[in-house]
Amino acid sequence: MRPSILVVHPDRKTQRTVQRILGGTGRGVEAVDDLEQALQRVAELDPRLLVVDGGAVSSPGFDEFFAAARARGAACVALLDADHQARIPGILGLGAVTNLLVHPMPVLGEELTITAQKLLRGDLFGAEKYLLWGTELHATTMTRASQRMHIVGELGDRVRDRGQSERVASMAMLVADELLSNAVHNAPVDEHGTRYRADLPRDGELELDGRHRVALRWGCDGRYLAVEVSDAFGSLERDTILRALVQSGMRESGGGAGMGIALAYRSCDHLVFNLAPGRRTEVISLIDVRSPPGERVAASSYNVFVERG
Amino acid sequence: MTTRRISVESRGDAIIVDGSIDETSGLVDLLSHARDRRLVLDLGGVAFINSLGVRDWMRLQAAAQRAGIALELRRVAEPLIHQLNVIIATRGGARVASFFAPYACDACGREDSLLIDAVAHAQALARLEPPAMPCADCGAEMAFNDFPERYFSFLSV
Repeated sequence: MRPSILVVHPDRKTQRTVQRILGGTGRGVEAVDDLEQALQRVAELDPRLLVVDGGAVSSPGFDEFFAAARARGAACVALLDADHQARIPGILGLGAVTNLLVHPMPVLGEELTITAQKLLRGDLFGAEKYLLWGTELHATTMTRASQRMHIVGELGDRVRDRGQSERVASMAMLVADELLSNAVHNAPVDEHGTRYRADLPRDGELELDGRHRVALRWGCDGRYLAVEVSDAFGSLERDTILRALVQSGMRESGGGAGMGIALAYRSCDHLVFNLAPGRRTEVISLIDVRSPPGERVAASSYNVFVERG
Repeated sequence: MTTRRISVESRGDAIIVDGSIDETSGLVDLLSHARDRRLVLDLGGVAFINSLGVRDWMRLQAAAQRAGIALELRRVAEPLIHQLNVIIATRGGARVASFFAPYACDACGREDSLLIDAVAHAQALARLEPPAMPCADCGAEMAFNDFPERYFSFLSV
């Protein structure tokens, strides 16, 4: 079987773990130790997916390797051991890594498998992919902007009713509020790309007809509470997201564009963007509900998936 | 506890703030309750604060500093602690006297938001050691249900 997944990681144990996990995709998986070997193998194998050590992302040979892989249409996932979470601002600052999975050791199979399958199959949308089979997702559609606070409050109530803690309920409310607010006010664009509702007061009333409607879905499988918000404009761009995630100014001043995205990222354990440009934006926030922290990690993963035309 | 606008009530030497802090809150008005250049806010009932509420909160902090009013925060609820940790500017010059924190019981699975006296436990908190708390259900010692280096970072400035 010709390998179509290339793993670049200096740790042999991690290489083997990742090979075993991704073997489940049915694709061939090959592992190498460093970027020099990886650059050579990219040319020979023409892989569809690269899984690289997060530590390698900021090393000197990465740009050349990354450019060669992208030119061949390969998607890239960076893995970062939770013990090395201090590297995250540096990785975000590069502005090139669209998929970062922060993980305890050993690597968590679920997140890696889901990310790999989405990239390999091009099947991006739906929070179901992150929840156990059979988990019910509750759906609400916003038809007026003033419904936001009610929907957010009801989400908090229903999460508590299901036995979740104040911590989980308040995080779910926060991310839902920020994502809904972005979808109502920042997503709508006209034919010139002008965001014609971005400057309207957030507490004002707006009818959300047709394409302006915003959908919220949520569900919990005992590990993750997923909150999914989608709009029908598909105007959120990859570079905007990556700039918002790094948001160095927000931490100090609380200001700056993209604060809602930055706050949502820092309020959940995994933030996923599914983008179909011009058609649909879907953001999924995953909150780890397990307690005590145990296998949880103190840093968040993110994915930005862009549908290929 | 569906999200509701904030309500403000004076009780003893403190102003009790309940509900959601958002774009409609107008927190700067709270400064009119200051006495002798001091304002004590009881924030135990704050269930929610969004990014626009954060900006309103920072306006309150800035206005208090301009007016020379010392802010004391008591019983600060978890949603507000999260913002104090994520956005340094929200801390302003306020002094946190006590705050809620998440705990979980390994023995019976109960989760609680429990009040920590930031003054009495100052030294332990500086060492990132959460105070021991007994479970209200089974009496076992509860475990702190977050990452101390993250949850207590607001105390380090």
